[in-house]
Amino acid sequence: MKRSLLPIVILIIVLVFLYLPIVVLSLNSFNASRFSGTWDGFTLKWYSTLMQDRTIWQALVNSLIIATFATIGSCIIGTTAALALNRWQTRLQTLHNALIYTPLVVPEILMGMSLLLLFTALKIDCGRHTILLAHITFCVSFVAMTVLARLQDFDTSLIEAGRDLGATAFQAFIKIQLPLLMPGIIAGGLLAFTLSVDDFVITFFVSGPGSTTLPLRVYSMIKHSRQMPVINALSTLLLAVTFLAVIASRLLQIKRVSRSHPFISTTIGGTNK
Amino acid sequence: MKLVKLLSLAILIIAAGCGPRKPVLHIYTWADYVDPDLVAAFEAANSCRVSIDTFDSNEAMYAKLKAGGAEYDLVLPSSYQIALLRSQQMIQPFDQSLLPNVNQNVDSDYIRFASDPTLEYAIPYAMTFTGIAYRTDKLDPIDASWSVFTNSALRGKCTLLADMRETIGAALKANGYDINSTDPAEIETAAATVIEWKRNIAKFENEQYKTGLASGEFILTHGYNCDVLQVQEDCPDIDFVLPQEGFSFTFDEFVIPVAAPNPLLAHAFIDFMYQANSAAANIAYICSLMPVKTAYPLLDEELRNSPVIFISPAELDTHGQVIQEVGEALPLYTRAWDKIKATK
Repeated sequence: MKRSLLPIVILIIVLVFLYLPIVVLSLNSFNASRFSGTWDGFTLKWYSTLMQDRTIWQALVNSLIIATFATIGSCIIGTTAALALNRWQTRLQTLHNALIYTPLVVPEILMGMSLLLLFTALKIDCGRHTILLAHITFCVSFVAMTVLARLQDFDTSLIEAGRDLGATAFQAFIKIQLPLLMPGIIAGGLLAFTLSVDDFVITFFVSGPGSTTLPLRVYSMIKHSRQMPVINALSTLLLAVTFLAVIASRLLQIKRVSRSHPFISTTIGGTNK
Repeated sequence: MKLVKLLSLAILIIAAGCGPRKPVLHIYTWADYVDPDLVAAFEAANSCRVSIDTFDSNEAMYAKLKAGGAEYDLVLPSSYQIALLRSQQMIQPFDQSLLPNVNQNVDSDYIRFASDPTLEYAIPYAMTFTGIAYRTDKLDPIDASWSVFTNSALRGKCTLLADMRETIGAALKANGYDINSTDPAEIETAAATVIEWKRNIAKFENEQYKTGLASGEFILTHGYNCDVLQVQEDCPDIDFVLPQEGFSFTFDEFVIPVAAPNPLLAHAFIDFMYQANSAAANIAYICSLMPVKTAYPLLDEELRNSPVIFISPAELDTHGQVIQEVGEALPLYTRAWDKIKATK
């Protein structure tokens, strides 16, 4: 029987739809013309302008600092929240569950507004720290949800076995549960990082002097800038870094899997001590 | 491994935060609206740090200032916002003794059009105006008139700004009315004019008209002078005309918020920008006129004679008008704009 061509055609259409805009953007970052409609030849001038543009780098640094700390903070709080939600089924935990869920459904604009009102009521000057607090607030939910999903099919007999073999509750958590939950925490953390780097609406409300993040900066440039292609250059660089990171992590994973399963070996090593 | 990474990151952050504490000037302005070389020169001269945050509209800026929690030293709103900021007592008067260059170099021909000709609460930074740009290689010289938008030869090849006040304002002017009209009948007539134009134009466009003009997709556009000058750098076959029925212009002006933590540096920055050589460099960078008369002779011949930057005060007097807040008449405009948008 002849195989249908339809799936491959659909695949190509979808890939073109997803990646064509990115290709156009990357090509335009090398376009000598400031306007994307015409091709005036190859240039690297937008990259050199980008290198000299202090405010864009400052915005990128702000974004990365905030995203890193928001990820760390929300991973810690989100994981502990998930553990508590999984362990106890009291009425208080039902409320806790609702609280964790709320930021997922509350419109961003409402959250930004209310956080700003809170900060001004407390007389806290806005800046990077308020953006960080706001980002942790909405990232916690995403981390808690992913970790909770992992906890739901967690085999508690592993912990019981560890305790039987002499591990304290703390050891059992650190050496058994945490490594097994790690993929969930890392997934949640990546989600948190992406959301934090991306966020515009909430950040707009709680930003202050000297804390412009990359999305805020890019948005203000779209309306009023002579250097739009610089954004193309920056996006191309960010894309390159992302692709390299993904390829690197893939390669690492292949190496690791070919050796042995990392988590089993650590848990056995831990309990044997 | 992870611990080492975290620690080194923490050290980096702390190191970034420490170092000799220099005073910081926080400016809130439009993106790419001041020559970065001048900012660096100002930092060196005053041993301070300049931190620039950017907004995309006057309304966003106003919301940010009004909400509190964000203390900027220097803000650059457009003229029409300044009356509002002042009536809300959000800006402070300048100390004229700290502004010798401003008082010496300001071009008195232009400041009378700014929101505060006495320079007490606001000092003009740069002027922008709207007009009609067209490709001279694809179109014979046109009449400087808004009626060009009904020219059927341009069907589908021209654009109007997607800005309620600018475009309805153009139509009000085309009908001989005031650009800030609050008369429902006049606004109605203007809306009908825009609808007539709409049948002929390609679309309402605020950003992409620059690209379209450069590529030749559009051969005539309603646009801002600084945008057009930008396109001219890439594509010289462009002419810019000011419709004789009238056009809009505005200043972006320096103001110092009441709660500014560092008003002294803010004054120093304004005064620095009003030095002849810094103003000249900045005019070339932002492609807009700064009303600093001693800077004009220092400009390139080409910029000095460019009608896209320089516009005579007489022209402003006879044809130009600043778009102002219309207060309670605003719903008339939004309704007219909705109607324009809805009409096929």
